Amino acid sequence: MKHSICMVSDFFYPNIGGVESHIYQLSQCLIERGHKVIVVTHAYGNRSGIRYLSNGLKVYYLPIQPVYNQCILPTVFTTLPVIRNILLRESINIVHGHSAFSALALESIFHARTMNVKAVFTDHSLFGFADLSSILTNKILKFSLAGVNHAICVSHTCKENTVLRGKIDPSDVSVIPNAVDASVFTPTSTERDPEKITIVVMSRLVYRKGADLLASVIPEICSRHSDVQFIIGGDGPKRLAIEEVREHFQLHDRIRLLGTVGHSAVRQVLVRGDIFLNTSLTEAFCIAIVEAASCGLQVVSTSVGGIPEVLPPDMIQLAEPSATSLVESLDKAIAKRRNCQLLSPDGAHDWVRKTYTWQNVAERTEIVYDKISAATEVTLADRLHRYNKCGLVAGKIFIFIAALNYLLLILCNWISPVQNIDLAVDCRKLRRLKTSGVNLEQSS
Amino acid sequence: MAMSCDRSRKKWQKVLYKDQGVSDNYVDESFLEEMKKNLHIRTYEFWAVVRESNVVMHQIYSVWIFVAVYFHMRNFVLTPQFLFEMSSAVTIVGYIVNFVILHENALTKSRWKDGKTMGIFLILGFSLSPILMTLTKTISTDTIYAMTFFMLLANLLFHDYGTDAAIVSQAFSLNAAIFASICLASRLPTTWHAFSLVTFAFELFALWPILRRNLKIHFPRLQIILSFLLGSVVTVSVATVSSVAVVVFLLLHLFITILCPAWLIRLQPYKNNIHGPWDEAVIKQ
Repeated sequence: MKHSICMVSDFFYPNIGGVESHIYQLSQCLIERGHKVIVVTHAYGNRSGIRYLSNGLKVYYLPIQPVYNQCILPTVFTTLPVIRNILLRESINIVHGHSAFSALALESIFHARTMNVKAVFTDHSLFGFADLSSILTNKILKFSLAGVNHAICVSHTCKENTVLRGKIDPSDVSVIPNAVDASVFTPTSTERDPEKITIVVMSRLVYRKGADLLASVIPEICSRHSDVQFIIGGDGPKRLAIEEVREHFQLHDRIRLLGTVGHSAVRQVLVRGDIFLNTSLTEAFCIAIVEAASCGLQVVSTSVGGIPEVLPPDMIQLAEPSATSLVESLDKAIAKRRNCQLLSPDGAHDWVRKTYTWQNVAERTEIVYDKISAATEVTLADRLHRYNKCGLVAGKIFIFIAALNYLLLILCNWISPVQNIDLAVDCRKLRRLKTSGVNLEQSS
Repeated sequence: MAMSCDRSRKKWQKVLYKDQGVSDNYVDESFLEEMKKNLHIRTYEFWAVVRESNVVMHQIYSVWIFVAVYFHMRNFVLTPQFLFEMSSAVTIVGYIVNFVILHENALTKSRWKDGKTMGIFLILGFSLSPILMTLTKTISTDTIYAMTFFMLLANLLFHDYGTDAAIVSQAFSLNAAIFASICLASRLPTTWHAFSLVTFAFELFALWPILRRNLKIHFPRLQIILSFLLGSVVTVSVATVSSVAVVVFLLLHLFITILCPAWLIRLQPYKNNIHGPWDEAVIKQ
C-alpha cells in the first residue's frame, strides 16, 4: 500500500545535521519504494516557498522565521491554517514529525490528529527528568504523544527514555536505528601514516561531548605511547582547554586541531585515522561512530546512552566515562592495532554497508505506516480522554487546547471549504509517465 | 506476540545490529531493567528538620522587628535618637563578637578599613536622608505599604539561607530590603527618623545575617536560644502595635516551624527520581 507522507521538522536542508540528513535519506528511500513524500519546514533566511530536491522531493519552506535554537515560536494555533492547507492540497494520509526540540513538528502532529490524519513521531535524543527545562519539555511531549498513533526511537535506550517521559505504551514505540550512506564513507589505506597510530576525534568541543575527558586523556596517552598522534576535528567553547593541554605538555607535533570540518570533508579526515575516539557524555545513537566504522576505523567510546547497542564488541571498545577507563580502552585498542588483531577496514566497511542501510530503515518505517493506516479511527471523545490522562491540572488544559483547535478547524473548513482547495500535482504520476516513455511536451 | 515453542528461542539482546526475528515494537521482559529509582534519598528526622527551619524564621524575625520598629516610631513611642543609639551599641557589640569568633589577628588595617566604611556610610546617609525622606513622599500610603510588603517578601524569597539554589541572590535580597526601608522612611515626620530607620535597616539586613552565619558555624546550639530570644522580642514589640498582627505572626511561626517539616516528611514516600542509562554521564575521577 502506497502512502502520501508529510515529513515535518524545524531541522532540514540547508542546515546540515543528524536529523536533517535522516529526514532527507529516509524521504529518498521512501520515494524509491513508490510512496509520495513531501517535507515541511520553516524558512531559512531568504529561502521561503516551495523547492524541489532530487527525485521530486517537494519541500515547503513555510514563511515563518526561526526565533530560538533554529525553531519557530510555538504558538499552537497559528500554524493550523497553513498546515491544514498543505495536508489537503497534497492529500496527505500520514504526518511524520521529527525531533522533540522541533516546535513545528509537534504542532503539525497536533493539527494532523485534529484533522484525523495519522501521525508518527520520531525521537532522536535523550532527555533527563530532574531539571526544570526537562520537566516542562516532558509535559509537552506527553501532550504530543497522547495524540500520536505511533512513535519511533533510534535505539532501545531512547525507547525506554521516551516511554518513561511520555507515559505511552511500549508496544506503541518501534525501534528503528539510524543509518549511514556507506558509499560515501569508504576506507582507503593510502591516507594513513603507516609509522604512527592516528587517533581521530570528530565532535563539537562542548561539555556534553566530553571535551573535558578528551583533554585529560590526550596527555596520558601521548606519554605512554610515543608513536600516537591525535587529529581533532570540530570547534566549540572547550577548544581552549585542548589548546592549553597542547601548550602545557608541548605536544604541538602530536595534536592537530582542524577546527570546524565541513560535512563533505569529514570522510577525508576519518580515513587518515586508525582509531576513532568518542567521549560523549550522552548519546541516543551516535551516528559518528558508525561513520567511523564504515571508514574502517576501530572505535573507542564511552559507554553512555545507546552507544553499547550500535556496534558489535569486535568493532568498538567501550569505557566508563572516566579518564582512567578511557585510557585503558585506548591502550587495548592501540595494542590490538600494533598486533594487527583488528578487523580489516574493508571488513568493517562491508559490515556497516550491510547492517545500517537507509533502505532497511525505510522498509521498517513502511511497516509502521501500514500498521497505523490499518488502525481504526479515534473519535474526538477518545482523544480528549487520552489528553485528560496527562495530569491532574495539565489534562484539563490540554483538553481545552485540543477542543479549541477542533473548533478552529471547523472555522477553517467554513472559511476555506475543502472542495475549493486545488489538489497538487503528484510527482509520481509524472515520473511514471516519463518512465513509460510518453512525450510530456506533446501531452500537455 | 505468539511464543513459538518449536523454535529454540535465544535470549533477546539489547542491540540494534542483529535481526532478532521480532517486530520493531517488541517489548522484552528486560524492558526498563536498568532503570533505578530513588538512588540518593535522604531520610529526614522530624525534630532535626524543625531545628533547621529556624534559619528561615530568623530572617522572618528580622522583617517583623523592622516593621514593628517603623510602627513604633510612627506612633512616637520610639524616638529616633534612642533607636540610633541602641542599634549602634548593638552593632558595635556584634562587631566585637564577630571579631572574637573569627579569631582574626588584630590587623589594625582591616579595623581601620571597617571604621572608614562606617564613617563614610554615616556621613553619606545623614547628608542624603532629606532626599531619602522626600523620595517617595508623593506616593500614596497604600501604594507604599503594598510596595513594602512585596519588597520584604522578595527579601525573604531571595535570601541566602545556606542552599545552592539558583533563585538565591544576596544582592537582590538586600536591595529589596533597603528599598522597603526607604519606602517606609518617607512616611516618617523628620529626617532624623528617616536616617535612623535606614541605618537600622542596613544593620539588620546587611550586617546581622553575617554575624548569624558565623554564630551558626561556631556555636550551633546557640541557634535555638537565639530563636526563643528574638521570637519573644518580636511578639512583645508587635503586640503593642496590633493584636491581630501577633496572632498572624504566631500562626506563621507555627506553620513554618511545625507544619512545613511535617509536610515535607509526609511527601517523602511520593518521591520518584528516575535514573538509567539515558542519564547524562557524570565524569568520574
